[in-house]
Amino acid sequence: MITGQSIFIGFFGVAAVWFGIVVFRTFSMVRSAIALLFSQTALGAMFLTMQAEFLGVLQIMMMATEMSIMAFFMVMFMMDPGGMGKMEMTHQKRLSLIVGLVSFVGAVAIAIFIDWGPVATTVADTAQQTKALGLELLGRSMLVFEMAGVTILTAMIAATSVAIQPLPLSAIKHKKDRV
Amino acid sequence: MTTLLVLLLLAVGVYCVAVLEAWITSGRFRLAAPAYSAMALLGRESNIPRKPDLLFFEVGPVVLLVATLLAAAVIPLSPDLIITDLATGALFLNAALAYVLVALIMAGWGPNGAYAMIGGWRFLGQLVAYAMLIVMPITAVAMRAESLATTDIVVSQAGLWNIVYQPLGFILFFVAAMGLAFLPPFDLPTAKGELAGGVEAEYSGVRLAVFRLGRMVLVITLAAATVTFYLGGWQGPWFAPWLWSAIKILLVTAVMLLIGRYVPRIREAHLLAWCWKLGIPLALLNIFMVGILLVVIP
Repeated sequence: MITGQSIFIGFFGVAAVWFGIVVFRTFSMVRSAIALLFSQTALGAMFLTMQAEFLGVLQIMMMATEMSIMAFFMVMFMMDPGGMGKMEMTHQKRLSLIVGLVSFVGAVAIAIFIDWGPVATTVADTAQQTKALGLELLGRSMLVFEMAGVTILTAMIAATSVAIQPLPLSAIKHKKDRV
Repeated sequence: MTTLLVLLLLAVGVYCVAVLEAWITSGRFRLAAPAYSAMALLGRESNIPRKPDLLFFEVGPVVLLVATLLAAAVIPLSPDLIITDLATGALFLNAALAYVLVALIMAGWGPNGAYAMIGGWRFLGQLVAYAMLIVMPITAVAMRAESLATTDIVVSQAGLWNIVYQPLGFILFFVAAMGLAFLPPFDLPTAKGELAGGVEAEYSGVRLAVFRLGRMVLVITLAAATVTFYLGGWQGPWFAPWLWSAIKILLVTAVMLLIGRYVPRIREAHLLAWCWKLGIPLALLNIFMVGILLVVIP
């Protein structure tokens, strides 16, 4: 049965995919990052349509800052951040295509074949949902989230240390002399 | 109907803020000045710089206005005078205001100008400084109210306003709110005299008018959020609830603008250092103290 809710979910879903495509269709790194942001915002809107208010608002909030910071990093690291030189910045196309397709098929297969249990007929009120989410995060999902957090932190530190230009030997010597 | 009424009050509030700002910065009280400058802006040509990212250039000011209006939608001016009373109101306010950053980055990147771009990226650095000091004090406020709904937060202050219950949180939130609204001394992205207007530098005419309007709505929304979270919202004797809200919001705005008048602009590196080395430990301490207080005085 097609309801208003499912139409909106479909609309935001298509918007998320479309913005996801835009990420790779533009040469400008800032446009690319902002397109990814709007893709994620559309996901947040899908959560809101499914009456998962806390998750939706959280998704919309977190992505705004995260993607903006990512835009900054992309501008710093890429050779043609404005995309005005129309420089080709994609690589390993065949591998990415295969990995992308396999992940897509895998995700669809999981969505279709897994036993999701009985479909909920009523939606718990938002406060109840938030409480359940908190208990979940501090319970069995804690390890997963902590792992993800530490991994992201490690990646950030690694990216920054790679980006720092090593000082020439003479400068290090000079510094040592001064100390 | 409520939506229209709130928008009308917001428009009046924005006008008052514009008058106040001109009064505090220039020392002259002129009621008609904002109307004249709006007319001047609308009548002027709106230039488009050379080789812009036109999409961002056009969308930036609009995103700023829309984000601030969405944030204003969860602020209660009285028990019924609220556009939408979301169960996650306090979080939604943050989510909407996060797009102020996106708007400024778009407006900074769009015009293809050095000053604008520096202004936009500067605000990203500013966000890294103020963001935690917005979220963590709100956490302590929500702890007391046992709810994220803004109306519940106001009701929780019936006995004692949060400014007395958690003064440390109030100070941190107030400073961070000024940072979010890029009011002086935190006006790093616009920085008149140093960046020649920064993000605003390349805008003119109607686009600048939309940008300035969005900024005014942002200022008044943050003042309203301060009132909701710390100053008892609509509560007060004698007057009608909405009038109390209006009085408090205008007072908070006036204090914010007055501070900016007398404090010199802070350096970005100093702002980050102060916020991270002093602000965040204090915000944690505030959460800890409120936690203890809640056990002692429920």
